Amino acid sequence: MSDQLLDRPPELVVKVEAGEATARKTASRRKMRQTAFIVAGWIAMVLVWEFGSWWFGARILPRPHEVVLEMGEILGNGNFASDFTASVLKTFAGFGVAAAVGAPIGYLMGRYGYWRAFFHDGVTIAGTIPAIVYAVMSLIVFGLSNLGPILAVALVSAPYVALNVAEGIRGVDKSLITMSEAFGRSAKQIRREVLIPTIVPFVFAAIRMCFAVAWKVEALTEVFGGRNGVGFQIRTEYQLYSISGVLAWMFLFIAFMLVIERLVLAKAEARLLAWRPEERSTAL
Amino acid sequence: MAVLTVRDLSKTFNVGTPRASRVLDNISFEVQGQTFVSIVGPSGCGKSTLLNIISGVEEHTSGDISLKSDQGGDARMGYVFQDPRLLPWRSVMKNMMYVQDELNEETTARARRYLDMVGLAKNADFFPGQLSGGMQQRVGIARAFAVEPDLLLMDEPFSHLDAITARGLRAQLQDIWAQSKKTVVFVTHDVVEAVELSDRIIVLQPGGRIYEDITIDLPRPRRQSDPTVATLQAEVLARLEKMKAATQVAAPVA
Repeated sequence: MSDQLLDRPPELVVKVEAGEATARKTASRRKMRQTAFIVAGWIAMVLVWEFGSWWFGARILPRPHEVVLEMGEILGNGNFASDFTASVLKTFAGFGVAAAVGAPIGYLMGRYGYWRAFFHDGVTIAGTIPAIVYAVMSLIVFGLSNLGPILAVALVSAPYVALNVAEGIRGVDKSLITMSEAFGRSAKQIRREVLIPTIVPFVFAAIRMCFAVAWKVEALTEVFGGRNGVGFQIRTEYQLYSISGVLAWMFLFIAFMLVIERLVLAKAEARLLAWRPEERSTAL
Repeated sequence: MAVLTVRDLSKTFNVGTPRASRVLDNISFEVQGQTFVSIVGPSGCGKSTLLNIISGVEEHTSGDISLKSDQGGDARMGYVFQDPRLLPWRSVMKNMMYVQDELNEETTARARRYLDMVGLAKNADFFPGQLSGGMQQRVGIARAFAVEPDLLLMDEPFSHLDAITARGLRAQLQDIWAQSKKTVVFVTHDVVEAVELSDRIIVLQPGGRIYEDITIDLPRPRRQSDPTVATLQAEVLARLEKMKAATQVAAPVA
């Protein structure tokens, strides 16, 4: 029951509760309809794939069930876990480097005009360079080592992190800082209680944006010159002319990244940003 | 309680530039003891600037300002702003505790007591976004009282609220003040509000000078429906009209 209901007369509470029940039913129906459309979308994708398979021939585009069987084989294979772990660790390591470099730059850009002037053009240019250029450059610098994909992910992600953190800092509500100063709060308390919570939504936006790009760059770098990882396996399958193998590795990687995005990032975001009205309405 | 002494205080914005503008001009007054003082004046006469200078958020250009606790030592301050200024990511209770110097059982109990006094004890775990504007402002008032300030500064705390909510909160403020008896400096442009709440009204005129210092000697609690209060409100309002006419005549024609 909402807080406003607590002070209302009983007959009004009954009416409002009935209204809330109707609203819940409508929301439930809307959710079911949405789920139906999601399922329909998946079925349509499989049908298009089947049609493509028939049109091009299964040798060029294997049928969906062949790829599913291949995925099963890969999952049963002992190398799967090690290749997968290698790719995921490289992606996260790249993220870590991007956060360590991008967040302080973003803080300086958001807080001080001179630092903004200093970094702005460089960060903007870094953000517009195509990911494939970073992948190739990383391979030229580090050769066939694990550092190549890590650097590529870091270079792609750092500008996003910096720009989002800068925007977050610039968006800090000055009146909350004045309030804190009027009550004698220290600079450390203001940083912890006002600045950091303000930039959290922006950091999440940066993470989600980076995540969408980073794992693709990581796999791409491994395709070009990795010694392990999902990208390396995709290249191996390609050299064996096993299209179903290429697709199976690709789908497994996509599935894993979706799980991380939906179950880890989305949940963490909902928990940390529970104070926002939009998060509360999603949670209902 | 606090002893606040302001001597020849002036404030000029953009000093040394063509855009320099003086908002406070040689202001002097003293406030001490269990006193509720209102600073009244038209928009732009420097009321909020004066409060910001007293709180230390803003620097003054010249003059002296001294704030001591009547127990000796530095005075503690509480501040109620025009808008509630609550941290949206912290619950009501955590907002109350954010301004406390120490987190212990005593300060927690005190915060709960003041939340209870403004009728929001049951909303302690709510986020500010889950409360109405009036409820949020009540949290702001409770937060300021809960630091047990020697001096409480209030900057038009009811100006953003509808008339009925503001009236209820004024009554609530009178009750809390009657129990705590803090030294209060209250900024408002509403003369009716000032008469209802204050022991003394300092009227600022455009240009930032003190026009008049009026003592309000009426028994408490005061309610707007009381004819004595209404008569005095009309009298003070008439004086302000007179001031307005005088300052308009004195002002150069653009």
